Amino acid sequence: MTLAMTALGGLAAAATFFVCGPQRFWANWLVWMLMLLSAGLGALFLTALEHLTGARWSVPLRRSAERVSGLLVPACAAAVLALFALPVLYPWAGPEAAHHPLIAAKAGWLNVPFFAARALACAALWLVSWRVFAGGSLRQDRSRDAALSERARRYAPFFMVVMGLTTLVVAFDWVSSLSPEWYSDVIGVYLFAGSFLAGLAAVTLTVGHLKERGRLTELRFDHVYSLGAWLFAFTVFWSYIAFAQYLLMWYADLPEEVFWYAQRSRGAWRGVSLALGLLHFVIPFFALLPRDAKGDLRRLRWVAALVLGAHFLDLYWLVFPVLGARPPFSWPELGFAGFFIGVSLLWMRRALRQGADMPVGDPGLAEGLAFKL
Amino acid sequence: MAEGRAFGVLGLFSDPALLLAAVPKLRARGLGRVQAYTPYPVHGLGEALGLRRSPLGGMVLVMGLLGTATAFLFQWWMNSVDYPLFTGGKDPSSWQAFVPIMFEVTVLFATFTAGLGMLVLLNKLPAFWHPFLDSEASRAATRDRFALAIEAEGEVFDAAAAEAALMVVGAGSIEVLPGLPPPRRVPLETLLGLAAGGAVACCLAGAAMYWGVKLFPVLPPMSHMLAQPRLDAQQRGRRAPAEGSVARGRLPYPFEKPEQARGLGNPLPRTEEVLRLGRKVFAHNCLICHGPLADGTPILTAAYGGRPANLQSRKYLGLSDGEIYHTIMKGENAMPRLGDGFTEDERWAVIHYIRALQRAQHAKDGDL
Repeated sequence: MTLAMTALGGLAAAATFFVCGPQRFWANWLVWMLMLLSAGLGALFLTALEHLTGARWSVPLRRSAERVSGLLVPACAAAVLALFALPVLYPWAGPEAAHHPLIAAKAGWLNVPFFAARALACAALWLVSWRVFAGGSLRQDRSRDAALSERARRYAPFFMVVMGLTTLVVAFDWVSSLSPEWYSDVIGVYLFAGSFLAGLAAVTLTVGHLKERGRLTELRFDHVYSLGAWLFAFTVFWSYIAFAQYLLMWYADLPEEVFWYAQRSRGAWRGVSLALGLLHFVIPFFALLPRDAKGDLRRLRWVAALVLGAHFLDLYWLVFPVLGARPPFSWPELGFAGFFIGVSLLWMRRALRQGADMPVGDPGLAEGLAFKL
Repeated sequence: MAEGRAFGVLGLFSDPALLLAAVPKLRARGLGRVQAYTPYPVHGLGEALGLRRSPLGGMVLVMGLLGTATAFLFQWWMNSVDYPLFTGGKDPSSWQAFVPIMFEVTVLFATFTAGLGMLVLLNKLPAFWHPFLDSEASRAATRDRFALAIEAEGEVFDAAAAEAALMVVGAGSIEVLPGLPPPRRVPLETLLGLAAGGAVACCLAGAAMYWGVKLFPVLPPMSHMLAQPRLDAQQRGRRAPAEGSVARGRLPYPFEKPEQARGLGNPLPRTEEVLRLGRKVFAHNCLICHGPLADGTPILTAAYGGRPANLQSRKYLGLSDGEIYHTIMKGENAMPRLGDGFTEDERWAVIHYIRALQRAQHAKDGDL
């Protein structure tokens, strides 16, 4: 079933290139690359945060986060292929960029070789970090070697710096340079907030799936509630950052900034922007507000699915306005969704077979299981 | 209340686990309300005691939403109804600018509800005394012991049975809490009186501030705004628009000399609505210098030492509407150019209003 969806979606995605043109193909590709990347990076951030702070409550959940962070592998592959999108989607890579004074002034940063070097360096750093955290944790299942936990703990602060800088690079390069005249200092934080939220939502869905299959039986209300509280907190954080960026640009009303929001508040894009506020903030906020909602895994899974959907809408809203005034949504977008969701599910299915469902070799697991709110 | 009835019976445990184990046994006996006093929160104690879910969450939600609504209506009414101020060319009713305040007021209402609701409504504070405080056990239970009490509920309380029950579950240092002095709470009337007094004081202070600023804008302390060195660094009065720019919805004003404008006629009818608009513009912009009767003797003269024009004098009675319009647009002597801040209608409406003031001061017999 998943295989059929992936194949059919892949076929539709390939057809997009020839029927609708490379622009739409690469815009879809970029959105889904960012989708996988943000979920994987967000989950890896949760893992690293646990090592950094010595948190115990999340130890029983950590294997799920490590498995989701494996999505970084297909995401990095997609990012390398997405380099072919540069001349198609990015105005600064086109021949007319040299005649535009604002874009020409940024040529020192925005040129194809440097861009590709940054993208590859980011991918390498992510994959190495993934190996250290997730790979080390899997080895610990067998060796029960406490030194592996110590290694992860010492690597965690370094990863925080990597995470911050690479998120900023992704935000500036892949997202904001779609409109190279535009700039926003907070776009990196914006993307980080969305990314951590997507990672948390993907971890919640994984935990819910495992729990439904009768695995992770030792997981209690207290663990689930803490995960729900993270989701809630970052729903609010994302909204705060998103609105802060909007409010400042709306108020200052500078032509080189505000055109970006003008594109997104006219015609059908206005509806998309409003839907984004509704789906990414209002509904998850009120759905997660009651205490019971945060501790009930069945309700939490619905909210997590909604949050992932809203995150997709967020990325779509970031990328697609460069294609024109009408937001396109038709069979190509569905095809891409089918293909990339299928790839993620196949990848996750493979990951769910590897190792135990909890980091059984971690010395902090017993304490984590006994965690009480 | 039965005379001399005990408040409850209390026993001490050395370990929170023993306490937790004893709670269900005591509750099953049904001798009274089981209450715990511990030096720190014990996990699982709330569930064991069967505490109901706190209603605080719902209260905070309601008050938080009320805060959002209050802040929105407050700003919307002030900024787009009562006194529209155009900032940065934005519509004064733009919701975007209201959001930070809406957020703050939501947090304010919600946290105050949480804090005060927890203390006053749910924990019945302020209360200056509780039978537990006089017990020997209260010292131990705020240090390193865990106390369980069976407290009287209703008319009948069997203190001896409660003592026995506590002994059975392994409590030490059992003592009876006397029920003699009733808890001395602040009477509700006092609290209501305080709240009402505070509300009245707030209203009075708000009204004094509002009318004070409205009626006496140049008396201290309101005049301190004028004493700051920054004022001279900027321009007095309104800032001139950028060279060559035309505000949206306005036409450029072509005349340089008053004679050129003499022939302009007032396009507005002299209706009550127009006069009301004129009075508002006059009160907000002209009254401060020219005075409420436009006779040039306002409060400001004392503060500034200047001598604003007496619009009731022969010279100004003789001006045409167009010449007044020109003065509004271009300023004269110490009067800054104010016209850029008004719409076309507001300029002409205020001229109608000045005419009405002049006529009121020079009324003829026929007017009566």
